[in-house]
Amino acid sequence: MGEILLEARGLSKGFPGVWEHLILDHLDFDVRAGEVHTLLGENGAGKTVIANILSGYYDKTEGEVLIRGNPVNLTSPRDGLAHGIAMVHQELMLVPAFTVAQNVMVGLKAPALSFGLAQVERRLDELVVRYGLQVDPRARVEDLSAGEQQRVEILKVLFHEPQVLLLDEPTSLLTPGEADQLFVVLRAMADEGKGIVFISHKMREVFAVSDRVTVLKLGKMQGTCHISETTEDELTRRTFGETVPDYMERPAVSSDAPAIEVRELVPKGLGSKAPATGMSFRLRRGEILGLAGVAGNGQTELIEAITGLVPPSGGEVWILGEDLTGKTPRAFIEKGVAHIPERRREIGIVEQMFVAENVALKDYRKTPFSKKTVMNQSEITTHAQKIVERFNALVPDLWQTECRILSGGNIQRLILGRETWRKPPVIIASHPTEGLDAKAIRHTWELFLELREQGSGILLVSEDLDEIMSLSDRIGVIFEGAIVGIVEGRGADRELLGHWMAGTTSEAA
Amino acid sequence: MELAHFWGILFISLHAMVPITLAAIGETIEESAGLFNIGLEGILLLGALAGALGAQASGSAIIGLMTGITIGAAVGLIFGVISTTLRGSQLISGVGINLFALGFVALMLTVMGAPGFHSVARDVQVPLIHLGVGSLSPLVIVTVILAVAVWWLLRRTQLGIWIRAVGENPAAADVAGLRVNALRLGAAIAAGAFAGLAGAYLSVDWFGAVTKEITAGRGFIALAIVVFSGLNPLLALLGGFIFGFFDGLATWVATYPGVKDIIPWQFVAMAPYIVTLAVVAGVIGRVKFPKALGVPYMRE
Repeated sequence: MGEILLEARGLSKGFPGVWEHLILDHLDFDVRAGEVHTLLGENGAGKTVIANILSGYYDKTEGEVLIRGNPVNLTSPRDGLAHGIAMVHQELMLVPAFTVAQNVMVGLKAPALSFGLAQVERRLDELVVRYGLQVDPRARVEDLSAGEQQRVEILKVLFHEPQVLLLDEPTSLLTPGEADQLFVVLRAMADEGKGIVFISHKMREVFAVSDRVTVLKLGKMQGTCHISETTEDELTRRTFGETVPDYMERPAVSSDAPAIEVRELVPKGLGSKAPATGMSFRLRRGEILGLAGVAGNGQTELIEAITGLVPPSGGEVWILGEDLTGKTPRAFIEKGVAHIPERRREIGIVEQMFVAENVALKDYRKTPFSKKTVMNQSEITTHAQKIVERFNALVPDLWQTECRILSGGNIQRLILGRETWRKPPVIIASHPTEGLDAKAIRHTWELFLELREQGSGILLVSEDLDEIMSLSDRIGVIFEGAIVGIVEGRGADRELLGHWMAGTTSEAA
Repeated sequence: MELAHFWGILFISLHAMVPITLAAIGETIEESAGLFNIGLEGILLLGALAGALGAQASGSAIIGLMTGITIGAAVGLIFGVISTTLRGSQLISGVGINLFALGFVALMLTVMGAPGFHSVARDVQVPLIHLGVGSLSPLVIVTVILAVAVWWLLRRTQLGIWIRAVGENPAAADVAGLRVNALRLGAAIAAGAFAGLAGAYLSVDWFGAVTKEITAGRGFIALAIVVFSGLNPLLALLGGFIFGFFDGLATWVATYPGVKDIIPWQFVAMAPYIVTLAVVAGVIGRVKFPKALGVPYMRE
């Protein structure tokens, strides 16, 4: 293994106004030439923050960053690039209306009135061949798939010939097949003598690509080791504290009462993705139906249709045996449909409203929270207090804290509490545990199983196959606006689901 | 219709094209960068007053135009600071500029002793270029050159890529090392300067006078033309000419003996505005605007 390219000593970071703990607590970390060094940790462990500091995007609170042994103080991402440090962010940082080459040009340090588009395109052609990154430099980014856009992100930073490349969960938008292709590229880059920092929370990927792995938990180091010296179980224990079961055992619930029944449903907004026939499936009460799929395959549109947010353009939605097609969101709520949305800050809460108001958002017009249109603040306070305590949300004050200042995890706890305390007969949950720590994930899963036993029908939409496989009684896969298939949850074949998610049904079957 | 009428209408059209087009291409730069300044009308008005005063004080039309540009750029700077570092509402500050300009110009005209009207001496107006078939303001040519130059700047330079990136996805631009607010501020100043020049043209060149109604909604029409053009300065030039043509036609109809008796001039005077409305209603929704238009950017 080569020389140390980039090193952090005693790195600390605390965001102002954040309680609990330091985001990063005196961390030591290094990456060497020719290696893929994985940063492993669950959401909120601080992986992204390290990468952002090392690349110059965030300031550090304490500690030292050294490049080839020389202390540096990076003040901006451009400064980082000048020092040979490049970062690929988790969210795509692209201009959709630009071509691939134009996106690369955004980061060029060229004279203002020059125009090197043709040269940039030629350079990109070379890079595409050199690393096997299949993407057309002249294509418009908005016309590319998520996997291709991810490759554009990588091309963008490779253009600067960085020595160290930090990739923050680059596989989160990719199908398993695309992820494998990416690993080949990462390996090629490492073999050229670059240092690669790969951030992930998926165990499979860690073993597929890493030379070394560093485990991070709530901002603290849990040790670094060579991949050959460790096992999946050991890493899982260090990351999550306990092993994730493949399938959580649960008692049988014998109910045939329908929770959701969807017939030939064509949600609005699918655009060119809309398949010839609509979606049909049935969710019983006392059942968890997992819906897996890569983001952007119609999950959002499906949920909008079955919560009443956007009336479908075809087909029917039956809730608890009643046809609610085209009814208002309120009709769905009154019928007992709880919705835990993916875009929690946008549609899960009202960011500018206080915690207590947000907790009462779906109940304020019912007794005892209001009488004859006048709200009863003390009832709401008592209720909100109960929810906050029950779900361990960290909230400074019920009536003075605006929800926008809370972390994503805490917002999610409030939403989970608000949506489930009535034990609703139908629950539609999209990425319910994203951004929660291991304990909270565990609690959420147990809560879902408990609600299931009490007769809730739960539609669980998630990209996290582990979560889907642990929780679901049945598992469906959505691809390009269609339900590809539904299988039993116990003993489900991960590979088959992966193929379905990638749209390679014929090969798998 | 005689050939002379054709030339007459064409020349009026070209002169009417100038202020709208100048304001529109400046605003194109600004909207490309993600800012939306509804205060163009106000800047035009302030530019008209500043241009007239500058020309008279210095005795030079060029200095008058420069004064208009400077005042426009200054207002653009204020708007830019409010919209970037202060993260204020662009709508409100734009409306504020319009209201301020209306009140301020009316007040100044009164202070200057001629409520509602102030004429600019002929010898400090921009001299016309005399062609065989009519007289043309040099600013017509300047406008065409500027439209092409701004098109080139936005579509064929590195700076254009940066400006548009900041408007489409400021976070991506930031990560790429661009100074988002600095670029936006620059675009706001440029838009102000263009609108200031357009205003000064009205008083120092075209009309040779300042009234408090001199802009006659041209700032808003410029905004409409930006929509019509889909942020393409060359189309903005075309849009400006179309409006100018109807403006010119209206003037011709209103003054031509025989015609003015048949068609009431009030109807004809509406034509440019109705055409603008129709054109914009036709294209709106089909044109793609920067994703981050009107949204202030903050990092963490």
